[in-house]
Amino acid sequence: MSGPIEQAAGAERPAAKRAAGFWQGEAVNRLALAASLPLFFGLWEIVSRSGVVNVILFPPPSTVLGALLDWLESGQLLIDFGMSASRVVVGFSVGAVLGALVGIMTGRYRLLSSLLSPVFQLLRPIPPIAFVPIVILWFGLGETGKYFLVVWGVFFTVWIAAHLGVQRVDEKLIRAARVLGTPEKRMLREILLPGALPYIFVGLRTSVSISFYTLVAAELAGTFAGLAYRIDIAQQNLQMGQMMGGLVMLGVISAAADKLFAVFAEKAVWWS
Amino acid sequence: MMKDTAHNTPALAGETPARGAGISVDNVSILFGAGENAFLAVDRVSTEIAVGEFVCIVGPSGCGKSTLLNAIAGLEHATSGAVRVDGAVVTGPAAQRGMVFQQPALFPWKSVRENVAYGPRMAGLSNDEARQVADDLLEMVGLAAFGDKRPQTLSGGMQQRVAIARALANTPSILLMDEPFGALDAQTRAMMQENLLQIWHQVGITVVFVTHDIDEAIFLADRILVMSAGPGRFVQEITVDIERPRLPEIAIDPRFVDIKRRSLEIIRRESTRAFEQQLKAVL
Repeated sequence: MSGPIEQAAGAERPAAKRAAGFWQGEAVNRLALAASLPLFFGLWEIVSRSGVVNVILFPPPSTVLGALLDWLESGQLLIDFGMSASRVVVGFSVGAVLGALVGIMTGRYRLLSSLLSPVFQLLRPIPPIAFVPIVILWFGLGETGKYFLVVWGVFFTVWIAAHLGVQRVDEKLIRAARVLGTPEKRMLREILLPGALPYIFVGLRTSVSISFYTLVAAELAGTFAGLAYRIDIAQQNLQMGQMMGGLVMLGVISAAADKLFAVFAEKAVWWS
Repeated sequence: MMKDTAHNTPALAGETPARGAGISVDNVSILFGAGENAFLAVDRVSTEIAVGEFVCIVGPSGCGKSTLLNAIAGLEHATSGAVRVDGAVVTGPAAQRGMVFQQPALFPWKSVRENVAYGPRMAGLSNDEARQVADDLLEMVGLAAFGDKRPQTLSGGMQQRVAIARALANTPSILLMDEPFGALDAQTRAMMQENLLQIWHQVGITVVFVTHDIDEAIFLADRILVMSAGPGRFVQEITVDIERPRLPEIAIDPRFVDIKRRSLEIIRRESTRAFEQQLKAVL
């Protein structure tokens, strides 16, 4: 910085610094961020149209967009979206509430945990997809079966998060609450539930993705509307654009749901 | 009764209402575990603590002083003997015995004010009443402006003051403190000690304060109980007859120095004995 040698060497430093600074700069970073999706779709368009691949099997994004617009105009997209969303929302809500409630109880009461945990640990690893054939026999092709599969996928993840969450509530907080005169019956609501909430939310967020995986399995098993169902139907008609459009919709929706949930979680458990 | 006392917060009345309670520790032993792994943490300890008295329990770490304090709080059960508060045997925690731990243990999902208002709310006060009690106590510990803050945003010393306010919000007759200033830096600790003595003087509460810092004990206490390890016993009782209010300068008062020398002698002797005993157990 101050020695004559450094000063001499410093003559070429600004240029080098500018070069390094260019690639690390905020502006170029923003540019890369803005270029990411256009580049991806542009390359896809070029590759599809270049003749290197079969354009029927690998349609360009413009074709996919056209298929998406047709889908939207026919009014079917809204119905498919509504059906899929309702399955996720109902299945997720029921599975999350049940999982959280049961998890808090088994986490809190040892007897209940001894009774239920072995059963849950046995059922938990069974992939919901494996249940599809049975579900069709049990519930037919109606909505109940779809809800059942999503609930199955969500319940165990939330259960174990809530169970562990309650057990990991800081012992110091429990002792503080006891000496402050917390009646035993209010301990759950006042201390254990808020204490476990950060853990429960980790389980819930994982479950958002799980409910979309399970949704696909549920709809492929047979139904009359839905985003994944539409992909299945499009395959039978070799509508590649429509199939890829379905994938895009699933990707967009589950990413949006995940983001939305992350924002909600940050507000709900602001202290963690 | 809880309601009335909590409501008019004598803490702020300025007089000394002497609302403390007497504590009687009667031949208390506390045994952890069972069989070969059983560990006698506290061995036949007895003492009487008067209404409004400030008692410090000092001793090396692991001597059972915190265990004994927990037994007075009702967080730990005496294996034999009994702890009585105003004649009634302690069977579990109660709002009447406030406690402050080494860690502030504030509820992170509540604001500073909600933390302090927690006890009164549990005691059945309305939210508005509890809030009023909390604001009064935050005023007393000098944190009136911090009610809406999240506890995590406060410094360690401030958090511990919130913890003290939270314990006092229940208008307890006894305040139990388990090395509450042990994690604070020296300057903050000195300030907290003075602050605590002021509060104690204002509130007229009985205080049992556990520490391993002999200077802290002499500065604060009316009486010091020295505890030895393995098993935990009271080996000495020292009355600190230095007038109040005490200023930090008393640390160079000959009486202070004399008490310190005597205490350190006992503690060294007891630590050596406990250490040799441990060695014997291992060999």
